[in-house]
Amino acid sequence: MGPARPPLTRARILNMGKTDILHAPSPTPATQVPEGTDLIEWYYERGCSDGLPVVPPTPAKIAAAVAALGGESGLLVARVPPRWGSLTHEVLAINMVMAGCQPEYAPVVEAAMLALCEAPFNLNGVQATTHMASPLLVVNGPVRRAIGMNAGCNVFGSGNRANATIGRALRLILLNVGGGWPGVLDKSTLGHPGKYTYCIAENEEVSPFAPYHVEHGYRPEDSTVFLLAAEPPHSVTNHFANDAEGVLDSVCSAMSTICNNNAVSAGHCAVVLGPEHAATIAKSGWKRHDIRHYLWAHSGNRWDDLYGRGRYGKVYNRNLPVWYKREPDARTPIVPSPDNIHLFVAGGEAGRFSAFIPGWGHMSSPVLRGVGGARPAGAPECADGTCAV
Amino acid sequence: MKTMPVYDPRGVVEAAPLVISPRVKQLDGLRVGLLDNTKWNANKLLRGLRDRLAAMHAFGTTNYYRKESFAAAAAPALLDRIAAENDIVVTAIGD
Repeated sequence: MGPARPPLTRARILNMGKTDILHAPSPTPATQVPEGTDLIEWYYERGCSDGLPVVPPTPAKIAAAVAALGGESGLLVARVPPRWGSLTHEVLAINMVMAGCQPEYAPVVEAAMLALCEAPFNLNGVQATTHMASPLLVVNGPVRRAIGMNAGCNVFGSGNRANATIGRALRLILLNVGGGWPGVLDKSTLGHPGKYTYCIAENEEVSPFAPYHVEHGYRPEDSTVFLLAAEPPHSVTNHFANDAEGVLDSVCSAMSTICNNNAVSAGHCAVVLGPEHAATIAKSGWKRHDIRHYLWAHSGNRWDDLYGRGRYGKVYNRNLPVWYKREPDARTPIVPSPDNIHLFVAGGEAGRFSAFIPGWGHMSSPVLRGVGGARPAGAPECADGTCAV
Repeated sequence: MKTMPVYDPRGVVEAAPLVISPRVKQLDGLRVGLLDNTKWNANKLLRGLRDRLAAMHAFGTTNYYRKESFAAAAAPALLDRIAAENDIVVTAIGD
């Protein structure tokens, strides 16, 4: 059993813009150490690091990050499971500075933490699981350029300060505030390279399709964060196809493996199309809606292949929807619906590569959230033949 | 001596520590609940355990429950029901 749940309602904590703001107790005053102490080693010795050196926080750096968050250092953003530590503006700022963030990254980091702590994401489960799963953050909207994020070549890393340190700030918070320490509360058998950092931006500028957040009802001028508990990317190489079906058949093949998290546990996944592949698909006249439906309809596994072709007896697997047929030759979808495939365009303009990114399973749902309080427009907005609900 | 500040990145935890229930002294006559966490083999493990225990002890009743997702806590209403209908509960973790 974990610690008792806090008495505050999650709806109150997460509702930006409401007036009943919750305040945590004042942070404990900073401890003092002798001048000249090697602070990088000091923080290592106290177990505050993800394995990489942290940037030692100073009063000025913390104050700058708190100011970028809107001030109010004691303001409670969320309680982070499974430790349920109080993430105040000051604690968020400390972790941002340690990660190497610039203050202007603050609205993205805060929005991402709020999204991670929303109930559908089930951060408690994601933190503790034996599976390979780490939150993938995809940023949309003008904030990407404003803070210098990379959406192009090497989008998954390395080389860009904003991508690297925003992702790292989330991970340090999940470690320090959430208590997701490997072997202690994080029981992942193999871990995940994305547990250092896992943050990209969609390449809206070269994408031939509407941006992800517009497909989901936001305005282009809004900025959003999308969080999915995810495996690392599976590369899709295709240098021979010159039409949508040819490219997407390769993505379908990458999806149709028997041991990815979705094949075994349903849920949501992501597909990141490199710009060359996206351009080929768009030349065929296909839109987001067409791509997601094609991928869903033409991927899958044979039921019997999932469990060793009967070698271990009959398997039912209650983690897959009841409407999947449990017959040897039945096609088992990778995810239950085309809407469970989250589609992005990102990466450099040279190279015919895309990526399939399995999620964790039905145990966590991805969250899309506005930065700075942005919310989807009330009525459906239609773009690229897709009307967002 | 000159000093410089260091900071705690962890945030305070505001939670009352849980106290575990007192242990029962004997099992005969008790109402036993089995909470299946819906992991792959949980039902086989728990039912096998129930059958072995029932061969050694005269339980009052045995009641079987499932939570809907192995990755999320059981619903508060289910926990209340289990607490009301049983004297002891057996559950299992892991795969």
